[in-house]
Amino acid sequence: MKKLITTVAGLGLLINVASADVASDQKAFINHFKTILPNVEFANYTNGVYAIDQDSREQFEEILDGIPPYEEAVEKGGKEYLKFGLNKCTSLKDPAAARVKHPYFDEATQQVVTLESAIKKCYQQQTGKKLGSKKGKIARISAWISDQAVGQKINVKVESAGAKAAYEQGKAFFYAKRGQFNMSCADCHVYNAGKKARADILSPALGHTTHVPMYRAKWAGMGTLHRRYGGCLKNMRAKPLKAQTEAFRNMEFFHQAMSNGLEITADRYRK
Amino acid sequence: MKKVLLTTLTLCALTVQANSLDSSHNWNNGSSDAFKSAIKAAETGYKANLAVNMAWRDTGKMIKKAKELYKAGKNAAAVALANKAHKQTINATEQTALAKTAGPRL
Repeated sequence: MKKLITTVAGLGLLINVASADVASDQKAFINHFKTILPNVEFANYTNGVYAIDQDSREQFEEILDGIPPYEEAVEKGGKEYLKFGLNKCTSLKDPAAARVKHPYFDEATQQVVTLESAIKKCYQQQTGKKLGSKKGKIARISAWISDQAVGQKINVKVESAGAKAAYEQGKAFFYAKRGQFNMSCADCHVYNAGKKARADILSPALGHTTHVPMYRAKWAGMGTLHRRYGGCLKNMRAKPLKAQTEAFRNMEFFHQAMSNGLEITADRYRK
Repeated sequence: MKKVLLTTLTLCALTVQANSLDSSHNWNNGSSDAFKSAIKAAETGYKANLAVNMAWRDTGKMIKKAKELYKAGKNAAAVALANKAHKQTINATEQTALAKTAGPRL
């Protein structure tokens, strides 16, 4: 009995330590942005660069006031969600809950499960076919699912030792310099967020995951978060990894956890 | 006369030395052996970088291009490109070591 209590207490302590690390990481993360961008309110980080630059904000609002270029695609995603029977999978049955639940650490497989990896799995179960990971159908369906959770807050839980290890791997990937330009994700989107890189303002990593999948004018279409990861790596002249690989899923786990407490938004237009 | 003799002798000595080198030697290091060793080093390094998700974007393309140049008989250019690719893999390996301790500077 004594042993059992000790074990349970030990496990509880481990979970607390893991959660505390995430909380303290996020606190430091938010404090950094408070320092470099003192005029941006926490809730406004869902708007990315549009929370920083007034001119860009005005253009953004004009686009949203009209018919946003992604509206049709998101609607189509809703139809595809039903057409391919994704409502029949337990993990996606309640779309709003699915968006908030993902990414999570699956103890059985010891892997991070992202919303897109769940969609892919369900799609294959229902249709017997494989689904891409970066654009097209998966981006449309994922965007529609995310739209059902608008206003709810990101709440990534990092509780077990396995989850903590995945989180730490994702964090290391985010902060590691790579590619011919020897730059990390953090070099642009943490340390230099709000500054200009050529004509573009570097977006803050805080809030990045509140509006994914996104519509990018550069892509002239929708794309998933992992499509963006690949693009960023390519820009740094690093070889991009395949979307939904373990390293990207772990980074998403960390990346989303840093935006815990921010509202999910349907305003998914970006330059 | 002395000067002409000295120049002729020097030229003869240089010619003999150049002819005595075996056929595999190449002044611009573009020999078959040089290419094989350079491309092997580049490919080994690239494979190791890929395994740890730290490969650079253009290394694979450089290796491919170097092979094409070699096939086309442009040995010197092929060796130079293979060496460049190998250098990229060395830099990527250095990044890999640093990546292990990467963390925030907040």
